[in-house]
Amino acid sequence: MAQIEKKAGLLRRTSSSKKPLKEKVVLMYDEIFAKEDPTKNNPRFWDELFLMKVNLEYLEGKLESLDGDEVMKIKDNINSLFHHCVQALGEEHQIKVVNALQTLCALFRGVHQKNKSATGFDIINMLMGFDKAELRMKELMESLDSLLCGDGSESLKSLCLKLLLCLVTVTDNISQNTILEYVMINSIFEAILRILSDVSSRAQHGYDAVVLLALLVNYRKYESVNPYIVKLSIVDDEPTLDGMGMVIHHALTEYNRQYKDKEEENQGGFFSTLSSMRNFTECLWFTCESQSHPEIEMATTPATPVPASPTTPLGTTPPSLDMMNNPELPLDPNLQTSNLLITFLKYSSIVMQDTKDEHRLNSARLCLIILTCIAEDQYADAFLHDDNMNFRVNLHRMPMRHRKKAADKSIPSRPLVCAVLDLMVEFIITHMMKEFPMDLYVRCVQIIHKLICYQKKCRIRMHYTWRELWSALINLLKFLLSNETILLAKHNIFQLALQVVNLFNMFITYGDTFLPTPSSYDELYYEIIRMHQVFENLYCMVLRVSTNAGQWKEPASKVTHALVNVRAIINHFNPKIESYAAVNHISQLSEDQVLEVVRSNYDTLTLKLQDGLDQFERYSEQPREAGFFKELVRSISLNVRKNVSLSTMSQDVLLKEFSSIS
Amino acid sequence: MGDTELELSPAQLEELQKSPSASSTSTTSSLSLPSSPSSGPRPLTSSSPSTSEGLPTSSPPLDVISEGVGELSLVIDTEVAKKACQEVLQKVKFLKADGEVSSASSEPVLVNGTAHPLSTDGGKPPKISEEEAEPVKNVRRRQKNNSSKQSWLLRLFESKLFDISMGISYLYNSKEPGVQAYIGNRLFSFRNEEVDFYLPQLLNMYIHMDEDVGDAIKPYVVHRCRQSINFSLQCAWLLGAYSSDMHISTQRHSRGTKLRKLILSDELKPSSQRIRREVPQPPPSCPPPLHHGQGMSEHSLSPSKRTHQRSKSDATISISLSSNLKRTASNPKVETSQDEPVRLTPQREFIKSLMGIGKRLATLPTKEQKTQRLISELSLLNHKLPARVWLPTAAFDHHVVRVPHTQAVVLNSKDKAPYLIYVEVLECENFETSSVPVRIPETQIRSTRSVENLPNCGISPDQRASSFSTVPNYDNDDEAWSVDDIGELQVELPEIHTNSCDNISQFSVDSITSQESKEPIFIAAGDIRRRLSEQLAHTPTTFKRDPEDPSAVALKEPWQEKVRRIREGSPYGHLPNWRLLSVIVKCGDDLRQELLAYQVLKQLQIIWEQERVPLWIKPYKILVISSDSGMIEPVVNAVSIHQVKKQSQLSLLDYFRQEHGNYNTEEFLTAQRNFVQSCAGYCLICYLLQVKDRHNGNILLDSEGHIIHIDFGFILSSSPRNLGFETSAFKLTSEFVDVMGGLDGDMFNYYKMLMLQGLIAARKHMEKVVQIVEIMQQGSQLPCFHGSSTIRNLKERFHMNLTEEQLQVLVEQMVDGSMRSITTKLYDGFQYLTNGIM
Repeated sequence: MAQIEKKAGLLRRTSSSKKPLKEKVVLMYDEIFAKEDPTKNNPRFWDELFLMKVNLEYLEGKLESLDGDEVMKIKDNINSLFHHCVQALGEEHQIKVVNALQTLCALFRGVHQKNKSATGFDIINMLMGFDKAELRMKELMESLDSLLCGDGSESLKSLCLKLLLCLVTVTDNISQNTILEYVMINSIFEAILRILSDVSSRAQHGYDAVVLLALLVNYRKYESVNPYIVKLSIVDDEPTLDGMGMVIHHALTEYNRQYKDKEEENQGGFFSTLSSMRNFTECLWFTCESQSHPEIEMATTPATPVPASPTTPLGTTPPSLDMMNNPELPLDPNLQTSNLLITFLKYSSIVMQDTKDEHRLNSARLCLIILTCIAEDQYADAFLHDDNMNFRVNLHRMPMRHRKKAADKSIPSRPLVCAVLDLMVEFIITHMMKEFPMDLYVRCVQIIHKLICYQKKCRIRMHYTWRELWSALINLLKFLLSNETILLAKHNIFQLALQVVNLFNMFITYGDTFLPTPSSYDELYYEIIRMHQVFENLYCMVLRVSTNAGQWKEPASKVTHALVNVRAIINHFNPKIESYAAVNHISQLSEDQVLEVVRSNYDTLTLKLQDGLDQFERYSEQPREAGFFKELVRSISLNVRKNVSLSTMSQDVLLKEFSSIS
Repeated sequence: MGDTELELSPAQLEELQKSPSASSTSTTSSLSLPSSPSSGPRPLTSSSPSTSEGLPTSSPPLDVISEGVGELSLVIDTEVAKKACQEVLQKVKFLKADGEVSSASSEPVLVNGTAHPLSTDGGKPPKISEEEAEPVKNVRRRQKNNSSKQSWLLRLFESKLFDISMGISYLYNSKEPGVQAYIGNRLFSFRNEEVDFYLPQLLNMYIHMDEDVGDAIKPYVVHRCRQSINFSLQCAWLLGAYSSDMHISTQRHSRGTKLRKLILSDELKPSSQRIRREVPQPPPSCPPPLHHGQGMSEHSLSPSKRTHQRSKSDATISISLSSNLKRTASNPKVETSQDEPVRLTPQREFIKSLMGIGKRLATLPTKEQKTQRLISELSLLNHKLPARVWLPTAAFDHHVVRVPHTQAVVLNSKDKAPYLIYVEVLECENFETSSVPVRIPETQIRSTRSVENLPNCGISPDQRASSFSTVPNYDNDDEAWSVDDIGELQVELPEIHTNSCDNISQFSVDSITSQESKEPIFIAAGDIRRRLSEQLAHTPTTFKRDPEDPSAVALKEPWQEKVRRIREGSPYGHLPNWRLLSVIVKCGDDLRQELLAYQVLKQLQIIWEQERVPLWIKPYKILVISSDSGMIEPVVNAVSIHQVKKQSQLSLLDYFRQEHGNYNTEEFLTAQRNFVQSCAGYCLICYLLQVKDRHNGNILLDSEGHIIHIDFGFILSSSPRNLGFETSAFKLTSEFVDVMGGLDGDMFNYYKMLMLQGLIAARKHMEKVVQIVEIMQQGSQLPCFHGSSTIRNLKERFHMNLTEEQLQVLVEQMVDGSMRSITTKLYDGFQYLTNGIM
């Protein structure tokens, strides 16, 4: 029977290309859009409909073309179509299931496109009818849940995910998608996790599942309790968390690989691979999401999730993370030298290279937000600083005229925090440009500060070449000074300057708790003395601004106070060095000689203890970042919607596969 | 038990007592039984445990054996013999009916003592299991022999002096099936631990000696296998390892291989199983299997619950259950069914996965990659724990619950990849019957960690990062879930202003406002730098991390520190029966020689203790798993002298001063004494066992100053070819002498005196030491047995014929020789002494 039907359909279709003959399915659609009940003439109407190949374009187009009143007239038929779609999902016949899924897709999309102005409630009424909506959606979600969890065809599962993605992205602003309220009530969270925890299903659907989850957790997260966030925050099943990490890891790795390929081929502008970009963004964002959501974070963090989200942005690992420690690695023993965090850092290093483009700027911002969350989480910090876990991380460095491409091999294997610091230093020295990304710089310096606070607190002495950081920070101050007027027009440069100076204050007053050797403390002084001109100029500048009335008076005066120790050092040692030079008749002192002077004159220098240096404000998504994330979700939604529709079309293949089986 | 059940008539006893010293003279006069089957009425020598069932336990096995020559004669009461013979006959019929293979003649007890293969007595249930309840009694009757002279041997066997060591010796030396069978029975009367020590010897005899010995040993082995999974596996591993030197074709059909298969087939179930089943017993497995999906669905959603003080009990337990299911699913037969169908599988799988990791590590080129791979692999292994698995090297029963994988290190080795893992276990009554601990997800630890417990000060760099305190108190949720990880720590801070609208971190506002409002606090820059150098100086005993030598840091950390640190980081750490163990997994190395060395060291240690010689040695446990894999119990708190010197860049003496204080401090003196005692002990070991390849990487130094020799790859007749001939008796470098206080010091004299005392004591018990080695030579291709004179040379090194004065001279000369070989002068006199005097 099915085959006969099918043949008939095919015949008609081929002939329809020549003559304006309509496919049977189209005729049937037309019947639905008539006011009559289609079963009146044909009691088997619905049965037959789902045996027919879906014509998405036609159905969507038709729905779109109706105006509100017209729609209300055929509401009963549409309700009925929806109802039968849902019922067909339970059919044994897989063709029917496939067709029903696609029809639902078309319904959701068609209704939304059409009713741009309609409220969510109108849409629900139109599709399901108010009285039945709750029941219908429950049935739908249950069917999807069992399809996703069942042993059925992988293609079916894939279609289910596509349908869900389609449903989630029908509106630009996910929070305005009222139908999702039912998705919240009838949670498919477990089904998504299930897909992620199973190795084979993860490989096939992991990406869709993560994207879906990422979108779902953003549904009205600021306004109400989103059950997906709550559940996500308490996930502590290691395989699942690992799975999530793996998916993100793969996406990032893929991106990194593409970048590398492009780079090798010497084709510029690989950044144009927007689609892959999108992926990443999504994943990241998702990670971040969990992390960044304050509540989640809280829950998560303490719980496993942390990992999940925050910690490592790794997100990846997050999962298992529970201990970041563990999880990360475990991810995949075959990718030995890599884990989510490493991949993430590499990805960040690529994304941060060029922030001129709005999209990339956002990606870089997201990366920094994730790193901020990591730096705040003590368990993530413990992982970053774990001496037992050394990695070699090859960060991508922007090619610059004045520096050679560093040989990758020379990078030693170190705790991951060194790679994070390297990344920050790299960012600082490569973004001093007219379009100054102030926001990113502030985040960057905050990340460094948070890491140092952790080290100070736990007395961890990293064998890191701090000198590179100091010199990068001093150069940043120099840049701020020389571009004062331009920058001041747009930004509060005193805030950034204050953060930088306070980083130096951390080193000066608390260096004994986290510097690796006494000589590194000497080197700090050497660096300050060597660059004393910058600090002196900065002092002059802030003093000048703070004595003038104006909006910058207050922030500038903070910087003058913060500079007290740096100035004390300069004023103390410079005369000593000069007299040393005079006594020994040396015009230019070598580094060793300066260090000698420094070492022998510590005792006569008094510093002022500035408290609060090791305090920082904790990251919170709301309210400051809410706008950013809303925009991010919106762009992801748009992107997903665009891509999903394409892939839905390609389900033709799948349809054929099923029909031949049956 | 054999002896307690043995009954002798008073007259016989008297007879026995009259001839206590007949041993050395009675050999020829005793009536000896040729081992040919036709030698007249012979006792049933069946060692099958099943024969004992119907036999009166009172039938005395009266075997009298003359020492050394191994001839055997019997003293037996005629009446008893007759009666017993009839019983045995019946027994034989019974056996036949049962299908047991036995070659028994129809005449009153004519059984060929040598031909009684017990092929598979293993799985035949009822009889066997019943008889297991009491130790098998192998009854043996011999023709009546009136000679009273033989009774001394019986007396010896009955006496309290007769220990397992003598038993093994007789088993090995006696050519008489009767004696062997008797001793096979006597094995049951020794404590398990005593026999376990000689397990390699027993099994090697079983494999490589004639069938009489094998038949004598088998019932005991089978009996023990039924009792203990651990014993079963040890046997199976040793049998495999010691059979490996046989030719492939013979190996396949050898007794050893068959017994191994029998054990691994797991047919040797506990005989008491039936009984046990009746006794209500908690199922050995963990919580009832839950469907995974079910587990998930237990996350009931409560949208109203905004707080994240989630009921972790609900959430995590349901997950832990589901993960449990998965774990068992990977080993489907394990643990879930009630009568433990596969007893051995979990442990075998565990060992197999550890070995698999070793093999995969060996393929990686660098240490760094190996380390990372190891950590990843172990973290995966963690997913399958806890399970009914254990470390055979441990001294107590336990279940492995977790492998703190980040603590694992790859050890230094050129082409193989031995690695050291730490293993968290929970001690239990009996790992076979106690229930396996329930998995606690890693994540739970997060909820129990409270930031407030973060150590704020005085933390040395190596404890750092991962050292978080665990708060086992789950009630305190508020605290545990506190958001402010880092922020709360700085208590001294004034309240935080929240009204600032800019992006500046609050701290800066505070620091500035407080500066303005408060009296400024001044600190001296010099103090900061001084503190920095002082703090670094106070933690001198940690080693620097070196990617090429990852184990140095891990091994240097004091064991107690490590235990504390790992315990704090473990979700199981709060349990009172939590213990930390460590083990070195070796893959690709033959540990049979190591095992032999361990046995010799252990024996010497016992001897020295018995003789009250304060020599110090540290035998470390060896687990032979096959001829090319195994595990080693690491020596805790010890690093190799090579690592010490490389890391500290100090001479050994200076290192001692750095670690233990200056010359006259109590600590230094104690450490020095420890050093001397251990040095003397190991010098003797090196001499007696001819331990070669002594370089600084093979000598450890522990935190108390003891040295510990490891790696006994070249002992007895084998020496590393490329090094040529190590002439000195042992390694004694000038650095060692410096630590002892120089050549003229008291400690150096003490050292020589200890050596002398130790040698005298060892000489007294030479047989005990030699037999360990001698038995293992049977059928062995190990390099240490190369050549024909291994045992003779070993015996000669005990210098039985020297007076104590001569021995003293010998020790002096050996020390002198070793000293001189440092100065690279060849020492000839020593050669003369060792070879010439004898």
